[in-house]
Parts: sequence; C-alpha cells; structure tokens
Amino acid sequence: MIPGAFDYHRPKSVAEAIALLNDLGDDARPIAGGHSLIPMMKMRLASPSHLVDLRGLADLAFIRAEGGEVVIGAMTTQHQVIASADLAARLPLLRETALQIADPQIRYLGTIGGNVANGDPGNDMPAVMMCLDAQYEVQGQGGSRRVAAREFYQGAYFTALEPGELVTAIRIPVPPAGHKAAYEKLKRKIGDYAIAAAAVLLEVSGGKITRASIALTNVGETPLLADAASDLLVGQAPDKALCKKAGQAAAAIAAPASDARGPVAYRRQMAGIMTERALIRALGL
Amino acid sequence: MPLDNAPEGKRKFNVVGTRPLRPDGIDKVTGRAKFGADASAPGQLVGRILRSPHAHAIIRKIDTSKAEKLPGVKAVITRDDFPDHTGGSGGLYDTLCNVMAREKAFYEGHAVAAVAATSASIARQALKLIKVDYEVLPHVTDVDEAMKPGAPLLHKDMFTDGVDPKPKKPSNIARRFEFGHGDVEAGFKKADIIVERSFKTEAAHQGYIEPHAALASMGPDGSAELWCCTQGHYMVRDVCSQLLGIDIARLRVTQSEIGGGFGGKTTVFIEPVALALARKANRPVKVVMTREEVFKASGPTASTSIDIKIGVTKDGLITAADGVFRYQGGPFQGCSPAEFGAMSAFAQFHLDNVRAVAYDVVCNRPKTISYRAPGAPMANFAVESVIEELAHKLGMEPIDFRIKNAAREGTKSSYGPVYGPIGLGATLEAAKNHPHFKAPLGPNQGRGMAAGFWFNFGGQSCVTLNIPVDGSITVSVGSPDIGGSRAAMCMMVAEEMGIPYDHVRAIIADTSALGYNDVTDGSRTTFATGMACILAARDAIKKLCARAAATWGIPEDAVKWENGYAKPAGPNAGDFAPLSLKEIAEASPGTGGPIAGHHEFSADGAGVSFATHICDVEVDPETGRSSIVRYTVIQDAGKAVHPSYVEGQFQGGAVQGIGWALNEEYIYGKDGRLQNAGFLDYRIPVCSDLPMIDTQILEIPNPGHPYGVRGVGETSIVPPLAAIANAVANATGVRFTQIPLSPPRVLKGIEEAKKAGGRKAA
Ligand SMILES: Cc1cc2nc3c(=O)[nH]c(=O)nc-3n(C[C@H](O)[C@H](O)[C@H](O)COP(=O)(O)OP(=O)(O)OC[C@H]3O[C@@H](n4cnc5c(N)ncnc54)[C@H](O)[C@@H]3O)c2cc1C
Repeated sequence: MIPGAFDYHRPKSVAEAIALLNDLGDDARPIAGGHSLIPMMKMRLASPSHLVDLRGLADLAFIRAEGGEVVIGAMTTQHQVIASADLAARLPLLRETALQIADPQIRYLGTIGGNVANGDPGNDMPAVMMCLDAQYEVQGQGGSRRVAAREFYQGAYFTALEPGELVTAIRIPVPPAGHKAAYEKLKRKIGDYAIAAAAVLLEVSGGKITRASIALTNVGETPLLADAASDLLVGQAPDKALCKKAGQAAAAIAAPASDARGPVAYRRQMAGIMTERALIRALGL
Repeated sequence: MPLDNAPEGKRKFNVVGTRPLRPDGIDKVTGRAKFGADASAPGQLVGRILRSPHAHAIIRKIDTSKAEKLPGVKAVITRDDFPDHTGGSGGLYDTLCNVMAREKAFYEGHAVAAVAATSASIARQALKLIKVDYEVLPHVTDVDEAMKPGAPLLHKDMFTDGVDPKPKKPSNIARRFEFGHGDVEAGFKKADIIVERSFKTEAAHQGYIEPHAALASMGPDGSAELWCCTQGHYMVRDVCSQLLGIDIARLRVTQSEIGGGFGGKTTVFIEPVALALARKANRPVKVVMTREEVFKASGPTASTSIDIKIGVTKDGLITAADGVFRYQGGPFQGCSPAEFGAMSAFAQFHLDNVRAVAYDVVCNRPKTISYRAPGAPMANFAVESVIEELAHKLGMEPIDFRIKNAAREGTKSSYGPVYGPIGLGATLEAAKNHPHFKAPLGPNQGRGMAAGFWFNFGGQSCVTLNIPVDGSITVSVGSPDIGGSRAAMCMMVAEEMGIPYDHVRAIIADTSALGYNDVTDGSRTTFATGMACILAARDAIKKLCARAAATWGIPEDAVKWENGYAKPAGPNAGDFAPLSLKEIAEASPGTGGPIAGHHEFSADGAGVSFATHICDVEVDPETGRSSIVRYTVIQDAGKAVHPSYVEGQFQGGAVQGIGWALNEEYIYGKDGRLQNAGFLDYRIPVCSDLPMIDTQILEIPNPGHPYGVRGVGETSIVPPLAAIANAVANATGVRFTQIPLSPPRVLKGIEEAKKAGGRKAA
C-alpha cells in the first residue's frame, strides 16, 4: 500500500505539461485529482517514475457553452460539475451521474478529465460520454485532435491516448430541450463503484422514440455502447415491455468479470435491469 | 454521615441523566487529541514487520544477515529474539506465537520478522532483504472444512478438550463446551412443531478507524515505556512484560486517545514487537500498522457454522431448544468466542429443556479477538431466525411468541444462573407499543425483530480522586475511554460531591499511577470503574467532613455532606455556617494536607442486559439489494448516566450489525489469502447508507450498582443480524441462513423460491 519512488513536476501551462511528458518519456504520468492514480500506485498497479501534476493548469477548469455544445475543461472537478447550474439545466444527466460517483471528499478533488482518461471500466463518466456521443479534445506535441468517446476506449486502462498526450476538454453536443435521460447505478453501498450501471438518452416525438442511445458501465473491459438495445427502441411507442426487451438486449452484450461485486451471471443480469430502469425513469413510465 | 439516600434506584439525580458536552470533543475535532501514531520520541526509529505470504507454512530458516548490513538498520528481530518465558503452553504462549511466528506461520499476515531503521523506506527495504525459507503446507480457512477428518492439521498436539474420553487423534477442534439444563430429547417429544436449520456467518472486522500504533523505548537497565492505543494498558503491561521476561513494574504503559476498539484492542499485536525492537536497538521505536495489516493481522471476529433445533407446542410454548455452535477463532485454542456464543444463544428465553454445545475450532486465519458482545450476534442470528419461523408456523405474532417465552426474574438462564430483575420483558412490551411496530410498510418492505442478550462484566478497577486547593477535582482512572466513559465518570463524581459537572475532570492515568484495572471490555467501565469513582468520591467526602469537623471542633459523624457543603448535623445542626468544598480545599494545607479519595475493588453484580430491535428493510426484488428503511433500538440501560452516549452506543452497535448483516465479510481465495484487506472492498456502512437509528432507553435498575447502572456497549450489536434477516425474510418470503445478505445471494434466493413456487430457505 505504499507507492514506489517518483519525481514530482508541476507545470504551469498545457504546453509545458506536454513538453515535460514527452521529455520524461514512458515513465511519466499526468496526475489530476489523483483519486484513481494514487490508489493504483499504492497497490503497485502503476509505478510511474515521474508525476506531472496538472493542478497548476487553471485554464483547464471551465464549463462553457459553444454553439450547440457544452465544453468542459479536463481539470473541472466532479464537484464543479455538480455545482454548475448551467449544466444542471442543459445536461442534467451529468449532474445526476456525478452525484453517484464516490463521495464528496473524492469529488472535490477528482476531475472529469481524469475520470474519462483513466480507462477504468468502473468509472461512471465514460459510459455517459459514449451515450451522449461526446468528443474528447486531445493535445500532444504534434498538436491537437478530437477523439469520439465511442472510439476512445480500447481495453481496461487502454485508451486512444498516445504517450505524452493529454485530454484537455470534453465537448458534448447538447441534446434538444425535452430530451430524456437517466443514469441508473447499482452499488453495494454509498461510495462504491458500480455492480452495473446504464446511461440512456432518448428523444420522443409524436408518441414514438425517435432517437436512443444506451451505454453500460463496469460490465466489460471498457464501457459498452448497447447499439442493438437502442436500435430496437427507435420508431417504437414507449412502454414497459419495450424497456424490458431493450434491457435484455443490453444484458446480452455485457461481459463482466466475477468479483466481490458478484458473479458474472448476476452482474450481466443487473446490466439489463439497470438499462430497463433507466429507460423507464427517463421515459416517465 | 448519612450518604445513602434510601432506595437508590429511586433516588433523584442532579447530574446523572443530563447531557453535558463531552470532555474530549473539542480536542478530537481540532486535532489536538493525541492518538496512537501521534507520539514521537527523540532518536525514534521506524519499526516494520515482515509478514507471511502463506496461509500455513513451516518456517525452516530466516536469514536476516543482508538486512542487518543495510545502512540505517538498527535492529532486526525474529522468533530468536523472543525466548519463551511463558512455560511453553497456554494462552500466553499462543500470544507469543501470534506476535512473532515460531515453528510455523499460521495465516497470511502472520508476523515472521521485524526491523527498526532510521527511516520508513530503509525499514521497507530491509524487510525485502530478509530471506525466509518456508515449507508451504495445505491450509484450511472454513470452520466446517477444518472440523472434517483429514483436514489440514494446524497443531499435531491438539486433542479436543471437554470430551470424555479425550480423543487419541489430533484435530482442529480445540475444545467442546456444553451448557443447558433439563432433557431436550424429552422436550422435543412434547413438541407439536419443530424447526431445525443450519446457519453460517462470515468473519467481520471491528473496523475501528485508528490502526494499531505503539511507541516503545527500553533502557539498558531494562526499564521500559510504551505509548499505545489500547483498550487496556494494564493488560498490555502485564502481557508484554511477561513475554519479554521483565518485571511488571519496570514497564510503564500510557494509553493514547483511542480511535475505536470495539473489542479489537483488548490484546497485544505490535506492542511486544515494538518493545523487543527498542530493546535490541537501544532506541525508541514506533510501529504503526497499515490498514492492510489491520485486516490481515489484527483480530477480526469468528466465522461460524450453527445448527438450531427448537420445538413448540401448538399454543406457542417452547418445549426444547438445542444448538450446535462451531466457531473458528484463528490458529490458537481458546480464541474463538464459541463458549460465549453457546452461553448467550438461548439466554432470552424461559426454557425447561435447553442444550447448547459449542466447538472452538482452529483455522488458518488471524487470531480472533473480541468484537462487541463476542460470539453472541451470530448465535442470536441463528436462534432468532428459527424463532421467527416458528411464530409464522404457529400463526402467532412473532412478538407475542417471544413475550410468551421470555426469560424473567427468577428464570434459570440457559447458561446457569437464575436471573434477578431483568429488562427483557420491558423491552419486548415497549417494542410492541412503539409506533414503529404498527407503522404501515411499503411495497417490497418487510419488518423484522429480534431480542438479544449480553452478560456484562464487572472486574477490577482502581480510582484516585484528587482535590486541589481551588476545589476542582481530578479523577484518575485506569480504564481507557472508548465510548464516553470520562464524561460518565465526571458526572458520577459530580453527583456524589454535589458540584457542577464541569468542576470535575477525568484523566486516564498510566500504569504506574494506579493499581491494576481490567481492560475496557464487557461493557464494564461505566458500571465498575464508575462505581469505583462513586466510592472514591464517598471516601473523599468522608475526609472533607472530617476536616470540617476538626475546624468546628465537633465529632466527625456529626457532619453531613449535602450539595457540595459540609454541614453540622444532629445536635449541632445550625451551629456553624456550612463549609463549601472549595473552602475546605482552600484550607487543606493547614488542616492536614492534600485531600484525596480512593477506591480499589473487583466489582461484582454487573446486571445482564437485554435489547429488542425492530427494523424495516426494503429488498429490491430485481437486484437483491437490501436497504434499511427504519430501525429502532430499545434497550435496558439500568440507569443512563449520560443518555446521549447511551443512545450513541445503541446506534453504533446497530450500525455495526447492519454492516455485518448486509455487506461486511472476510473473503478468502483458494490460496488462503484475504481478498479484501481494505475499506474499498470491505464495505462498512456510512451515514448515507443508513436511516436515523431511533432509540428508546429503558431503565430497570441493576441492584448491583448504587445508581442502577448496567453496561450498554455490547448488547446493541446482538440483535441486528437476526432482526435484518427476519425483515428480509418477511419482505421476500425467503428465509436466508447465511450472512452477509449480499445482493447476489438474496437475488438467487428470491429467484429460486419463485421457481419452487413460494416460501423456502436459502
Ligand atoms: C474510494 C473511491 C471510490 C471511487 N468511486 C468512483 C465511482 O463510483 N465512480 C467513478 O467514476 N469513479 C470513482 N472513483 C474514482 C474517482 O472518481 C477519480 O477521481 C477519477 O476516476 C479520476 O479522476 P482524477 O482527477 O482523480 O484522476 P487521476 O487519478 O489523477 O488520474 C487518473 C488517470 O488518468 C490520467 N489522467 C488524468 N488527467 C488526465 C488528462 N487530463 N489527460 C490525460 N490523462 C489524464 C492519469 O495519468 C491517470 O492515469 C473513486 C475513487 C475512490 C478513491
């Protein structure tokens, strides 16, 4: 439970941080809130020789509207996400999700950038970002690029980030007013990672579902986009039976590990139940 | 000197029963309080312990030569530094084997060597340089497995005690106990309905927030000092000095502020190691456990396997109760609370025929130690589950069934003694009349209840009370304050002296300042040490009255003490103006010197304690997750000295029981290693997981205490496991016989019952 030795760096700008990461090479890791990385270091699942602390990059902590998008700086804390009235109005799903992450102490420090960049299937924000079809702004020595959340996650702790790159912001297309969304998370107790969780986003018009997206947390190596489940919703009139069917379709793609949270079959079944419940709640059924 | 106001149970109190501010509150919230790890000494070294990665292994050889050569390492110790001063068997020898492994490592985390170095990183490096040659042996961590013939044997010389004739083959069963009276076979013949079930409970940890910590120093002359967080510094002194082979009087132990104990700090783990390191290094050494070490190498409670059989007549009278209680207590005999489990299991009933057989079993797990009412919650879970099931079978309200069979004054208890005045019936009646009992339930909710018992303990206490010249009072006690006892001590002294609470200050004296005090356990401190405080105050009052008598020139017995004043009484009444405590204290240098009160004794008469808990649980039928919706604790406190602290004890016990019932468990891998040695995966409940725990204090005075006090700290953890399991059974229609009620287990039970079409047991 004691991390290995490391050197500590505290750059003042994004450019400086990226330069440092590139100079120091593979053994350097950025650290944001530290609430995923430090536990991993303590368990020796990570042993970086250099930590590049991003907390000096004050310009990465912001929430702003740009056209039809909301842009959130990577160093925005989960607490700031919860506290933003603008987000609560335009993207209530984010606040709802952030409130289910860990506990207040952790949310004061943990950042949204760290949460999405971490690559731990237990993190809650990645599935929500996939569900919302967000884009990550990624900056490296060669410049910046955008990566869709849906393409970002490649395996447990493997993401599309190249060494030396940072996530600087998250761009989320704001769904039209009146959209329906929910995040349902089953956990053993307050402050725990999900046994299984599901994020849903829906639009309904003329009594029919016109758009649907569903993503799952902690039931696979990566967050999972449940396409088949959302496809079977589109064009249908919402009812509980439909939600159940979609839940079953979502469960079908779940591939959780067996751990202290429960055996495989149980967690897969729970992915379905969480999906079904999120849909029912979002649709007000 | 008429001190005793007639029947004391009915006495009117001025201070006792009020709710003054706790004396340790400000220090604790401002960080001024000094806990175990907060002490430092000049030249102090960091001590760290090397622990076995194996659940069971012979230690062939330990090579410390490389570690010793590492610059900064000042001492390396192994079993060779702990020569046996204990006589080679018995509990003290087992403690020796536990603090530093000898022939074998008996569990993952068992200490095998330790180092003291100038820094933590050097100490860690040194541990890596110690080479231990292990011969890994097959292991066993499950109590039922451990009892099977052919199970891996922990001790070749363990022949079950308490069995006649003594077995010739060794086993992992250290001892068999039997309690009870009457004839259970005959009793079952009279029964119309019999329910028989088997139960299992997993080990839980006390989960105190403060890890064990000790700072030791030892001079070349063998005199030593130790600062540590413990529930009993006299116990630490006596055990450590015997293990190290020094005179008891040479070791002075100071108890730090304590961040929770719940029974887990009633023995030694790192303290003898810190002392041995300090002796070898000739420098002070501080050892602080990590959380992982706390889980793996301190003492959780036992895991158990229990069979219960109870028979009743059609009209709801219990004809016989029978139980087998198998408790594993880690690798050594006498550590599991099997005996207490069996003794307490049926204690809440009036029974003509009862038998409780217990087996104390050894396993490759850490040496267990007390956890709040040790042994009772698991037994209560099994018994009160069967009671609930019987009530349903009888078509009787479970509470009426319990009331009908409840133990009362004059009942011969299932463990032997005949009860004096007890509060069980009162708690059951109060439960029946409580608004919670009749409140409507929502969908998927069930209500459960259970009644629980704990013995309570008295024991040795020694108290000194000093009155400086300004008339304020210091009470020195030797009982660590783990649940608010300092406030209670001050209140009882203030009550006796007739002065305000805030004129009295209680401190926990070190072992050199007072005679022996038993460990703060068995809910004994407010009862026993509190009584010593009352008697020490009375001793001081006698002396104060004598000083007044001398001042006035009248006989001592012509002075009475009233509301903080010495007053002339009898024929002299009104002759002299009363003298206040302060006036007598001020004059004391000229009237005979300092005034102190003192009392030392071994307290008998700890009144037994009963509680009834009601709880509503909502079970999510699709996920199996249970949430506690409402919870009420009703318990007899005898007399609540500080009601807020009493309520805190009721709530704390209930919450720990809730954690144990729903989430907490030691999870072992096939390799015998603990899978969840941290709070991330060993989930204790936090406030946001819980509703407010309602409490109701009943006061059925204990005749064994001048104010009627009974211990309250432990009983409250006894009923929750059963109350919750009964609530879950009533919510789901499924009887669960295994703790914890984790969501996957509950969902499986619900689904299997659905398939089977109705009520069943899982
Ligand atoms: C007890 C506990 C419970 C928790 N429960 C939950 C939970 O229920 N749900 C949940 O989602 N999370 C949970 N967390 C994790 C928490 O939310 C973390 O704060 C979050 O996952 C990571 O954010 P951070 O800022 O702390 O990142 P850090 O720990 O600092 O970093 C995490 C990883 O991301 C990398 N990184 C950080 N920032 C960037 C960036 N801008 N660009 C590129 N890489 C970056 C780091 O190098 C590191 O590899 C829990 C944590 C704890 C300790």
